[in-house]
Amino acid sequence: MTTEATLPTTAASPTARQVWTRTRGIALALVLLLVGAVAIAAVRSDARHGELDPRSADPYGSRAVAELLADRGVSTRVVTTLDEARAAAGPDTTLLVAVPDLLTERQQTGLHSATTGSGGRTVLLAPGGGAVERLAPGVTADPALSLDSTLAPACDLPAARRAGNADTGGIRYSTHLEADACYPSRRLATLLRIPDPAAEASPGGLPGDTVVLGARDILFNNHLDEHGNASLALQLLGSRDHLVWYLPSLSDVPDPDDERGFFDLIPSGWLWGTLQLFIAAALAALWRARRLGPLVPEKLPVAIRASETVEGRARLYRKANARDRAAAALRSATRTRLAPLTGVPVSQAHTPESLLPALSAHLHGTHGDGQSLHALLFGPPPGDDAALIALADQLDALEREVRRP
Amino acid sequence: MALTGRAALIAALGSVPVGIWDPGWTGILAVNAPLAAACACDFALAAPVRRLRLTRSGDTSARLGDTADVTLTVTNPSGRPLRARLRDAWPPSSWQAGTETASSRHTLTVPAGERRRVTTRLRPTRRGDRHADRVTIRSYGPLGLFTRQGTHRVPWTVRVLPPFTSRKHLPSKLSRLRELDGRTSVLTRGEGTEFDSLREYVPGDDTRSIDWRATARQSTVAVRTWRPERDRHILLVLDTGRTSAGRVGDAPRLDASMDAALLLAALASRAGDRVDLLAYDRRVRALLQGRTAGDVLPTLVNAMANLEPELVETDARGLAATTLRSAPRRSLIVLFTTLDAAPIEEGLLPVLPQLTQRHTVLVASVADPHVARMARARGHTDAVYEAAAAAQAQSERRRTADQLRRHGVTVVDATPDELPPTLADAYLELKAAGRL
Repeated sequence: MTTEATLPTTAASPTARQVWTRTRGIALALVLLLVGAVAIAAVRSDARHGELDPRSADPYGSRAVAELLADRGVSTRVVTTLDEARAAAGPDTTLLVAVPDLLTERQQTGLHSATTGSGGRTVLLAPGGGAVERLAPGVTADPALSLDSTLAPACDLPAARRAGNADTGGIRYSTHLEADACYPSRRLATLLRIPDPAAEASPGGLPGDTVVLGARDILFNNHLDEHGNASLALQLLGSRDHLVWYLPSLSDVPDPDDERGFFDLIPSGWLWGTLQLFIAAALAALWRARRLGPLVPEKLPVAIRASETVEGRARLYRKANARDRAAAALRSATRTRLAPLTGVPVSQAHTPESLLPALSAHLHGTHGDGQSLHALLFGPPPGDDAALIALADQLDALEREVRRP
Repeated sequence: MALTGRAALIAALGSVPVGIWDPGWTGILAVNAPLAAACACDFALAAPVRRLRLTRSGDTSARLGDTADVTLTVTNPSGRPLRARLRDAWPPSSWQAGTETASSRHTLTVPAGERRRVTTRLRPTRRGDRHADRVTIRSYGPLGLFTRQGTHRVPWTVRVLPPFTSRKHLPSKLSRLRELDGRTSVLTRGEGTEFDSLREYVPGDDTRSIDWRATARQSTVAVRTWRPERDRHILLVLDTGRTSAGRVGDAPRLDASMDAALLLAALASRAGDRVDLLAYDRRVRALLQGRTAGDVLPTLVNAMANLEPELVETDARGLAATTLRSAPRRSLIVLFTTLDAAPIEEGLLPVLPQLTQRHTVLVASVADPHVARMARARGHTDAVYEAAAAAQAQSERRRTADQLRRHGVTVVDATPDELPPTLADAYLELKAAGRL
């Protein structure tokens, strides 16, 4: 313990207390932000809880219509799965499909086959283009919506005539079948009642039919008391003793026999083993990500080659095809080197009158005549690059000749 | 804190029991909960890093190219043994490229209450001071699954000195210096040389050296001997401006200048002259004055260690003024600069008369061997243009040198390898001629 007391500490990493001191401000800000977000979300929440649910008393629920139906002796039963809905189809039953668009294609087809010929009534609330073709074949939805929400009946359907104006404006439908087309908006109906072609064979009671409604408004609690909404809703839904209210839900999973994906086919051991492998990969990532101390910065020296300007000048000569300057530089350099060898002062190396005679004398006339020497050392610039290369070689040869003892 | 590869490996092996015996959340929990517990135990049982005590010792300087060993003593005052990986971090240029990781990392075990030493061997690649960065220690738990990690700051500085590669020339130059020493009067005769002693005439001596008065006093003919002047002042002026930053070969011009300056300083201090140093660009970077012959070389090397080229134009006027202030007596001023036309003509030439008025000036410049290679290039178009540009540059340098010589300045222009001996020869010639 003595060493600990004598040696000063050199630790540089922050203590837990320092970490807390540094981060508590940020942590506090985060907590405040989170609390604020939750509070605002709770206050401003306008989510439509229990929309179209006959048990919900919210503005967009449908408890009011269910209560009115119950007063008239119609029992309402909520189902959430396709199987229940199919089982409930029967001659004394009205099946209300609250949100047809939520069903898968296969479910829609299955529902249609179950309701066809059952002798009951099927009410479809605002089915989209795809849904209506499968649930009520022969009916097509127009892509353009109705402009007004409140429409006049304008048809012979007794229920519509009794109800008068109603909020059916929404999706508009057309059909080539024999059907009651009511509440038209720009010539296309927003309420269709299509008699079930198979129902004529069913014995006794009312014939089966399918009702397609362009909007869901008449069933909402807050719209039920407007115009003839309540009347229309009660007549459409109260024609049978039992009302089955089909609310599609998440638990309404498609038949597993139909859609078995890759993950259903492999043994579960593989799946869970892979999950454990993912955990191992995450741990390995943490292991590799933690480095042993940060990088060390360092000021780097400048790295400029001293010969850069000379190289740049060479490239400029080349680009500009400056053969005259290049030849002059080469000749001048050779003359400067030759002058001391032939006994001429360097100051007079660039005058032909003093250099050439001394050079000729030094070479004893072995290197051509004075004319060729003059052309080589003082001649005109070469005409092309090949001549320039040749000039450089000739100058070298001359210098070697002079230097030879 | 940090995980280890072992923990990740165990988690990966855990996928076998999860997959075979218990696919489900229970299996996942059965594998990972014990692993997490073991990690927590490991963390709790690992020796604490914060309480370790670290001290340094070892080399504080090294020549460029040599190695420096810095020792780190780790004391573990806790009651648990320390098994750790340690990284002694230094700037990247402290090691040859590619060897940083191997050189800086150590594995060490320190039993409880004991201390251990680890040695980090530096092999710096550049001149200057290297400051130790932090020491990071990763302390492993007994199972090797989890670690504690922390850093310590243990300051230490290793000064990397100029390599002084030209010292190989020193023996030959010293022998030339001894030749100048007054034993042979013929060789050293000059107007500035100092009278040393009288000795007997041997055939071959310069008859002008015969001292007739002394001859008259004794029976043999006596000649005077001379020795070179001593106690002269030499001021080495390093131009650290932008022209010294250009790289010649693999090192900046400044490094080549320093090498030559060191050889000259070593030679001059042996010859009995006083050597001062001034490094200047727009302000004084280093100034050494009044050192005795014994410690002039170490202090010079130390002062040069941290000199770096600055990317500014040298202020020639300020340079001349500072030089005159630093050289109150008649001195040999050795100016290490470049012979590029523009800086000399615009900067140095106007102020040169101030210097040459009282002092002898020697300009030493580092020539680029690459330019000489370019001047010899032949054979294809690019090569010939390069040769022309190089010839042009060389002739400009010669012209600048001639301009300087007309002011009575001695000019030495040589490649980095040649500059130190050439400069030493120029110094010896000046000395022999008595021009110091």
